[in-house]
Amino acid sequence: MAVKGKCHKNIAMKYIMPYFVILFILGTLPSFVQKGQPKLPFKAAGLNERQAAEHLLSRFTFGVRSEDIDDALKMGLEKWFSAQLDGKIEDIEVQKRLADYNALSLTNAEIVAKYPLGAQLKARAIEDGLIKKEDINEDKEKQREIYKQLMEKYGIQNSKELERQTINQKIIRAIYSKNQLHEVLTDFWFNHFNIFMGKNTCTQFVMSYERDAIRPNVNRSFKDLLIATAKSPAMLTYLDNFLSTREDESMGNMQAKGSKRPKGLNENYAREIMELHTLGVDGGYTQDDVLNAAKILTGWTIYPMGQRGESAKIAKLLEKIGEDRLANRGFVHENDFLFAPNRHEEGSKTVMGKQYNQGGYDEGIALLNDLAAHPSTARFICKKLATRFVSDSPDPKIVDRMVKTFIDKDGDIQEVLWTMVTSPEFWQPAALHQKTKSPFEYAISAVRSMHADVMYPFPLANWITKMGQKIYYYQAPTGFPDKGQYWINTGSLLNRMNFGLDLAAGKIPGIKIDNKALLDNKEPESAEDAIKKYAAVFLPERKIESTVDRLLPLATDPTFSEKVIQANKKNKSEADEMTDETSHNEMVFDGNKTLSQVLGILIGSPEFQRK
Amino acid sequence: MDNRRIFLKKGGLALFGLGLGGIPNFVKAAIAQQKVTSGKKVLVCIFQRGAMDGLMAVTPFTDQNLKMARPGIFMEPGSGKSLIDLDGSFGLHPGFKGFDELFKSRQLAIVHGMGSPNKTRSHFDAQDYMESGTPFHKGTESGWLNRALQQNKIESSVFQGVSITSSLPRSFYGEYPCLAVSNFNDFRINTRGGKAINASTATSFEELYDLTADELQKHTSKESFEAMKMVEKLNFKNYTPANTARYPGSPLGNSLKQIAQLIKSDVGLEIAFAESNGWDTHFNQGTENGIFARNADDLSSAVSALWNDIEAYQDDVVIMTMTEFGRTVKQNGTNGTDHGRASCSFIIGNSVSGGKVYHKIPELIKENLEDGRDLPVTIDFREVFNEVASKHLKVTDTKKLFPDWTGENLSFII
Repeated sequence: MAVKGKCHKNIAMKYIMPYFVILFILGTLPSFVQKGQPKLPFKAAGLNERQAAEHLLSRFTFGVRSEDIDDALKMGLEKWFSAQLDGKIEDIEVQKRLADYNALSLTNAEIVAKYPLGAQLKARAIEDGLIKKEDINEDKEKQREIYKQLMEKYGIQNSKELERQTINQKIIRAIYSKNQLHEVLTDFWFNHFNIFMGKNTCTQFVMSYERDAIRPNVNRSFKDLLIATAKSPAMLTYLDNFLSTREDESMGNMQAKGSKRPKGLNENYAREIMELHTLGVDGGYTQDDVLNAAKILTGWTIYPMGQRGESAKIAKLLEKIGEDRLANRGFVHENDFLFAPNRHEEGSKTVMGKQYNQGGYDEGIALLNDLAAHPSTARFICKKLATRFVSDSPDPKIVDRMVKTFIDKDGDIQEVLWTMVTSPEFWQPAALHQKTKSPFEYAISAVRSMHADVMYPFPLANWITKMGQKIYYYQAPTGFPDKGQYWINTGSLLNRMNFGLDLAAGKIPGIKIDNKALLDNKEPESAEDAIKKYAAVFLPERKIESTVDRLLPLATDPTFSEKVIQANKKNKSEADEMTDETSHNEMVFDGNKTLSQVLGILIGSPEFQRK
Repeated sequence: MDNRRIFLKKGGLALFGLGLGGIPNFVKAAIAQQKVTSGKKVLVCIFQRGAMDGLMAVTPFTDQNLKMARPGIFMEPGSGKSLIDLDGSFGLHPGFKGFDELFKSRQLAIVHGMGSPNKTRSHFDAQDYMESGTPFHKGTESGWLNRALQQNKIESSVFQGVSITSSLPRSFYGEYPCLAVSNFNDFRINTRGGKAINASTATSFEELYDLTADELQKHTSKESFEAMKMVEKLNFKNYTPANTARYPGSPLGNSLKQIAQLIKSDVGLEIAFAESNGWDTHFNQGTENGIFARNADDLSSAVSALWNDIEAYQDDVVIMTMTEFGRTVKQNGTNGTDHGRASCSFIIGNSVSGGKVYHKIPELIKENLEDGRDLPVTIDFREVFNEVASKHLKVTDTKKLFPDWTGENLSFII
């Protein structure tokens, strides 16, 4: 609806005009480019180039390897960072590995049609007369048979498969993408605007949420992310805004007969948008503000996409009315988003002292823009970014600087990140390797350092869950906490160690490893030689002497080697039952099982848990 | 309580004396504060995911409205009939027969018409609200059980809050470190290469972490290895329950068996969490047999086994079930029930004034139903949770558990 788009711009101009004017005058080039590339002030902090590269890559990639350091230095660190922010490097490896993931490019409507949830499948089976109501639950065998028939008949697939593809693609991108910072930022912003895959239809919407609302906006302006997430079916479902209507809502001829949808205001999204997405809990809003914000956002809902039931009826109605007439009546339809004016609470509302009386869709956009530009938002977001990339408790000075940029540059994420990396606090030696890797970061960094070939990522996801991070499944809208104490606890630490052991021993299904390649495919001269090389690969530019000293006696201890060999003999039959990959690994690294064991300990070591 | 002191002194210390690098700090501390630990209370929470039909679990069988609303699934007591008459007005589903005994011995209280003031009928939202303890606030970071643990913290125990689930439940989210373990057999260093090599590898890790300058890692590692050794000695694999208690072989049975072991080993457990699944009975709920009956039997058999197994510790333990909401008064077109409002909760303990159904359930005529269709919520779940926390766990500042709630305790604990 082009008409609407124009209108949106007018509103935006009215409310954030000063920034737009400045941008238009200067052209669209970010200021850091105009100024010429800024210098990263690592030398002043006493770091040499390699150390600086290691630190920079350690924070902005999913795991730094010594060759990554070489490449970044060749390019120049500033250029590297700039290219990463841009995020447009061709990703052939990722494309190749995701070629068979057929759900990746589907729209939400296609996904709903292709991957129905359990209850939808049951309903369809009954509707098609394949099973009688009274047989459901009674005859599981028959039920399974019928589902199979249904799947063949309609070309539908198990929704678990969709879930697996969503999870797997995240892992594949994190490991193999050349646009590492883009992936890191996607992870960060997804977690900031967290949704939960376990809620109702969220399973079906997660794919598009990450792909269409988060990923394209991670390096743009904060308000782009805010508006995109506000309109995404996943967020509309997760925080219930799709249900929120004015109190006396009646859809009139738009209401399907017998609708069971609850009516009335739902404050959930309005509250969380202020508390968690923008202002922060102490951002200066009141319960009245929440209530009024909720009213402003009534009518923001999902365009019906079901092929049957109530959803299909409404879709038919809307089609009958036609896009033009809908637009004239104040409806806004963009992809899966629908603004339904008949559900919208009209009248003037005041949020944080500002009056909103534009009416309809536009006042929602105005509210979101104002929230995105609020100084409390600038502080809340910048502190969160600094916590992720600098330190669990960032120096207020660096946050202040970022806040200033956020306000001056209209929430431009690239500008804010440039301010961060050009601040001396980012480079303080005390900040190096002080952030704890989340289980996801830990697992991905280990696989990256191993140069492992991850053919099937799901077992890796299971390990990440075991270590305390079930990705896409954090239930609360807060997202996973971002601090060491949350990740390192008694429940998780032993699992982190076990992960290292399993990975290095080639015991994680679907992952092909080649420990010998890590030693340049040469037989190590000695155990000491091998351990030093491993340590250099896994922990580049770090003080590793004490780790090496501790591992050496183990690698050279004949009784330990003997134990390993014995244990492996004992497990031979077990190993034979394992996948081909495993036997492949064993052949490659035969005779060096002790070293695999030591490598496992190195991965599980305290140093490798930090970034 | 002497038996446990003896365990701690003889058994517990002996465990750690045997060349395992001395006595762990938390055991030392536990002994130092013997009185506190010995009298320490344990709460076992069982979340019935999917929303249990409270009207089938504990049926107000004298209400003819209910009988008419449920022609296919209503059950009655009496000769040749299966509902277990509890008190002349409420009857227990026969699947819960294990609970009948506990009700008669006054160790089981039933709270009926319990639910959340938030009317959501979404499983996710209702569970979320019940577990966070804030029925109108989604952004609450922590769970109510974590907030209870924060107040009662025992620095020396890593087993204070344990959930037998693969990931941390919402109730346990928060500042206080809790354990989520689906199977304690996996709580060890596992090279998949046998005992000897596991032991050397564990030692290497221990030494490495001991050397690190990172306090968090160092401290956590110390605790982890102490806990690991303790778990090893507890020998979860070869456990024989006391009193010939028989746990069902189901996931819930296995969860409660492990909880019993933790309770009996006095490792500082205060809140244990387990899940019972499959209560979302839209289709063919069944009566004496069927899906509801199977779930009921699993739950009551597992809980009864736990209760028998921990006989010597019963004074210190309360078991409480919870479910996100109840189900429609009327049966639906597929011999099941749909999402409703209030359900019921089972609370077992020696300190519980049991043998009674606590309720304010009105006659089930349409005008009395919530939205004209559901058993109304007449008891806020916080009246019940708050009482268990304050009276049993002795949490003093319960305002922190349920910040938006101003009601009174229900008074079912002495």
